[in-house]
Amino acid sequence: MLRRTFLRTTTLAAFATLALSAAHAENPTLKIGFVGVTSGPAAAWGISNQRSMETRAAWLNELGGVKIGDTTYDIEIVPFDDQKDPKRAIAGMEKMAQEGIHYVVGPNVDDGAAAVRPVAEQNGIIYFPYAFPKSLYTPPASNAILGMVANYQSGPAIYKYLMDDKGVKTVAFVAANESDPLSQRDSGVEAAKALGLDVVSDTVTYQVDTTDFTPVLLPVIQKQPDLLVLSGVSPANAPQLIRSARELGFQGLISTETAQDATVLQEGAGDLANGFISVGGASTPELASDEMKEFVDRYTKMFGEYNDESNTKVYALEYILETLKADPAAIDDVEEFKKTVDTFSAPNPFMKGDAKLSYVGTTSFGQKRQVAVPLVVNEYKDGKFETLFVAEVD
Amino acid sequence: MPSTNQTPLVEAGAASAPIRESAVSPRRLLGVLAFLIVVFVVVPVFIAATGRWDFYYTLTSVALLSIGAAGVWLTFYIGRINIGQGAYALIGGYVSAILITKAGLSFWLTLPLAGVFCAFVAVVIGLPILRLRGVYFAMVTLVLTEVARLTALALPVTNGAKGITSIPMPGAVSIFGIPLIPDFSTLANSKLAFYLLAATLMVLTYLVLWRIVHSRLGHLCRSLQQNEELAASIGVNIAWLRVLTYAISSFFGGIAGAMFVAIAQSIYPSSFVVQDSVNFMLYCFLGGLGYVFGPLLGTFLLYFGWDLLSAAREFQLLIYSGSMIALMLVLPNGVLSLFDRKGGSR
Amino acid sequence: MEQIIANGLYLGAQYALIALGLTLIFSLMNVLNFAHGQMYVFGGFITYSVVSQLGMPFIVGLIASAVTLAAMGALIERFLFRTVIRRSAREESTMLLAAGIAFFLDAVILLLFGEKQRGVPKIVNGVFNWDFRLIMPYDRILIGVLAVAMIVCFILFMQYSKAGRAMRALAQDRTAAQLMGVDVDRYSMIGFALGAMLAGLVGALLVTITGINLGMGGPTSVKAFMMIMIGGAGVISGAIAGGFILGMMESVGLSVLSSFGDITYLVIFASLMVFLAIRPQGLMGKPWG
Repeated sequence: MLRRTFLRTTTLAAFATLALSAAHAENPTLKIGFVGVTSGPAAAWGISNQRSMETRAAWLNELGGVKIGDTTYDIEIVPFDDQKDPKRAIAGMEKMAQEGIHYVVGPNVDDGAAAVRPVAEQNGIIYFPYAFPKSLYTPPASNAILGMVANYQSGPAIYKYLMDDKGVKTVAFVAANESDPLSQRDSGVEAAKALGLDVVSDTVTYQVDTTDFTPVLLPVIQKQPDLLVLSGVSPANAPQLIRSARELGFQGLISTETAQDATVLQEGAGDLANGFISVGGASTPELASDEMKEFVDRYTKMFGEYNDESNTKVYALEYILETLKADPAAIDDVEEFKKTVDTFSAPNPFMKGDAKLSYVGTTSFGQKRQVAVPLVVNEYKDGKFETLFVAEVD
Repeated sequence: MPSTNQTPLVEAGAASAPIRESAVSPRRLLGVLAFLIVVFVVVPVFIAATGRWDFYYTLTSVALLSIGAAGVWLTFYIGRINIGQGAYALIGGYVSAILITKAGLSFWLTLPLAGVFCAFVAVVIGLPILRLRGVYFAMVTLVLTEVARLTALALPVTNGAKGITSIPMPGAVSIFGIPLIPDFSTLANSKLAFYLLAATLMVLTYLVLWRIVHSRLGHLCRSLQQNEELAASIGVNIAWLRVLTYAISSFFGGIAGAMFVAIAQSIYPSSFVVQDSVNFMLYCFLGGLGYVFGPLLGTFLLYFGWDLLSAAREFQLLIYSGSMIALMLVLPNGVLSLFDRKGGSR
Repeated sequence: MEQIIANGLYLGAQYALIALGLTLIFSLMNVLNFAHGQMYVFGGFITYSVVSQLGMPFIVGLIASAVTLAAMGALIERFLFRTVIRRSAREESTMLLAAGIAFFLDAVILLLFGEKQRGVPKIVNGVFNWDFRLIMPYDRILIGVLAVAMIVCFILFMQYSKAGRAMRALAQDRTAAQLMGVDVDRYSMIGFALGAMLAGLVGALLVTITGINLGMGGPTSVKAFMMIMIGGAGVISGAIAGGFILGMMESVGLSVLSSFGDITYLVIFASLMVFLAIRPQGLMGKPWG
C-alpha cells in the first residue's frame, strides 16, 4: 500500500522533473546541488538559499545558458532537504555524488557541514556551507568554501565602527542555546575583548522556541550595556528580542552578525527595530547594481515575496559558475577548481562600482577558502535597510 | 488505585501480541536465511549492477536507526512509550567520540563501551523514572532527550557547542597477526564496509531481540505489559525486570549513536535531537508494535520513503505525512499486521 | 522581583491556555495530540492573514482563527482519530497518527503561509512603567488579561453547560458515561474541536506579541506536554497549575541562574524530571494516567 503510494508519487514527480527539464533541452545541463534545510523550524535559511539559486538559474537559462569552455550549459539546481539533521545531510551529499554533481551549496548549519565533509572529500565535491567552524576551511580540509562572511570577521569590524563612531564602551551578548549561536557568541566575546570592550554579560541564553523574551533579557538589560549583540540570531527571534529589549527600556544599540529580513523586522517589532544593525548583502539602493535589482524582481515574481536574507545567498552559485568559466577543466575535476581558486577574479555583477568576485580567507584559514562577499553593515530604518558602512574581508 | 482502573492500552496490548511460542520452524528458518541473503548478497549486487552507490548510506542509516528502534520496541514490550532513545544515541556517540579522540582508544573497543555506558546511564535514570507509566513516562523520556542535548552543550569534555570533529575512521583489527578487519580509511569503498558493519550489527540486534522475546524474559515482559500489579503479585521482580529491559534498550541506542559518529566523523549536541527520539518511536508504530521485525520495517519505509520523495521537492513533506496518515487509517496496527490478517492465524 | 513575578504570570497565562486544549483532548480520548503546537501556529497564521493581509480588525482575526481551528479539530476527530481508535489494538497507535497530522500541518503551513516569521502590528501601544520596578507593555497586559478571561470562560463552560458536564463525565469514565446516555461520539468531536479551538485562540492572541513562524509548532507541543505533566495529565486544574508553574520556573530560573548561562534550561528540565520521579502523577493527576 505504502510502497504503491510512494511509487506512484515518485513516478509522478519524476515525470514532472523530466517535463521541466525537457522544456529547454537544446543545451546540456550542468547540475548544481543544494543540501540544506527547507522544512521545519529553520526552513527560512534553506528556502531563501534554494530560491535564490533557482531564480538565478532560471534567469541564466532564459538568457540562453552559461558558456563554459566551448559548451553552453543550462543550469539545473538539484535540491535536498536535510531537515537540519546532520545524518540526513550526509544522505543528501551522497545523493549529489550519485548524480555526478561536483559543486554543492550548503549545508546551512555547523553540524551538517562537519558531517558531510567525509563524503564530499571522498567523492570529489566542493561544497559551500553557511557554517563558521574554522576547522572546515583550514588545512587539511580543502573541499569546503565558506559561502558568506563569518561572524568572527564581521563582528570585529562592527564593534570597531561602533566604538569609534558611537562611543560604545560596554557590550552584552545573548545567544540561543544551540551550537551555531553559542559558537558565534564565544568568538564574538573574544573579538570584543580583543578590541578593549568591556563585556558585561555573556552567559544569558534562550531556547529558540521562547515565546516571551522579557525574562531572558531582564538580567542583561539590568547591566545597562551600550551595545547588545544578538549572536547568531535567527530572523524569527530577532524582532521579538528587539521588542522585548526596547520595551524593558533599553536605550543602547542592538546588533547582530547574521542577515535579517526587513519585512520580518517591520512586522515583528515595528518602529522599535529602528537602529538595529545587521549584516546584509548588496541590496541597499546605494550599492545594488541593476542586475541585483532585476534579481530581486525575478525572485519576487517567481516566489511571490522576496526575502532579504537572499542578498547574502545569491553569491555562491555565481562563484561556482564564474570559476568554472575561468577554468572549464574544473567542471568535473575539483582539483582544477582548487588551483583556480588562488588566482580567480571576475567582476561582481550584483554591486555598483568595480567590486570583484574573488576567493579570500588567507588570514582566517591559511588558505583561500571563502568567497569574497562585500561586508555590508546595515541599519534598519522604517521598513528598509540603510547602509552603515562597507568593508572587505581578506 | 486498584488495578481495575488500568488504562486500556495495557489490556489491548495483550490481545495484539501475536508472537507465538513456537520453536524455530523450517519455514521461519528459511525466511531468516532469505533475509540474510537479501541483506548481504542481493543488496550489494543490486547496487553494483545499478550503480546507485548512494543507497549504501541510506541503507546503512536504516540499519543503524532500526537498531535504535529495536530498543524502543523493547520498552514498548514492557508497556512503556519511550521517546528518549535520541538521548542514548547522543550519549553513545559522545562516549565513542571522546574515547577515540581523547583516550586514543580503537573505535572497535569504544563501540561496545558506548553501549555499556548507555546501559549504565539507563539503570541510573531508569530506577526512578520507570515507576512512571503511560504518557508520564513518555514525556519524561522526551524531556530526557533535551536534557542530553543541553548537557552536551554545557560539559567541557564534550567540547560544548563546537562539537567534536575530525574523528578518525575505524582502524584495522587483527588477532595474532591475522587481519580481521581492514583500516576503513585505506579502503577504496568505505561505504560498503560501513554498510556491511551496520547490517551485521542490525542482524545481531534483531537476533538478540528475537531471542529475548522468545525466552523466559520475554514471557515476563509480556506479563508486565498486561498487568504490572498482577505480575508483581505472582512473584515477578518487576523493578529489576523493567530496569533490565530499559538498559538493553538503551544499549542498542548507544551502539547506533556510536556507529553514526564513525560515519559522520563528527558529533555535535544537535546530532540527535527530540525529532530523532520521536522518529524512533514512529518507526515502531509504523512497523507494528506486536511484531519483532516491526521496527525494522518501519524504519525502512519511513526513512527510505523520505529519501525517495525528495524528487517531490516542496511537496515532499506533504506527501510523506499524507501517506503516513493514510497508512495509519488503513493499517492502524502497523504494516506487519497486513500479513497477520492474510494468514489468519492468531 | 516584581518584574520577575509579573513576567512569570504573563508567561503562565499563555502557557496555561495552551495546555488546556491539550489536556482536554487527552482527558476525553487518551490521545496525546502531537499536532497541538501546529494547530496553535495555524491559528496564528490565520489571524495574521486576516489582520495584516485583509486589513480587518484584530477581533475578526481572533474569531476566524477560533472557527477555523474548531472546524479542523472536529474533522480530524471525526475522520481520523475515531477511525484509528476504533480499529487499532493498542491505544498508543494514535501517537503515530497525531505525529503524522503534525507533519502534515507543518507542510500545509509552509505551502500556504511561507517560511518567514510573521507578526501583526501592536494592538495597543505604550508601556506600563512603575518606576522601573515593574515594566509591562500594555498589549502584553491586555493579552494576559484576555488569556485569563478565556481560561475562566472555559472553566465555567466545563462546569455549568450541558456539553461541559457531558465531557467531564466522559473524561472520568467513558463506559459509565456511555451507559448514562451520553453521546460519546458527539462529545468526543466537540471536545476535540474545543481543544483545537483553544490552540487556535492562543495562536491568535500571541501573534500580536511574539509573532508566528512555522517552526514554533513542535517545540510548543513539547512545552505543553511538560505543563500537563507537571499538573497531572487530563486534569483541567492541573493544566492551569502546570502552565503557571512552568511560566514561573522560567521567569525565576532565567533571573536567578542568568550568571550560569548555558545551564538554565538544563536545570529547569532536570528538576522537572526529578519532580516527576518523586510524584509520578504530577500535582493533581490520576495515578498512572
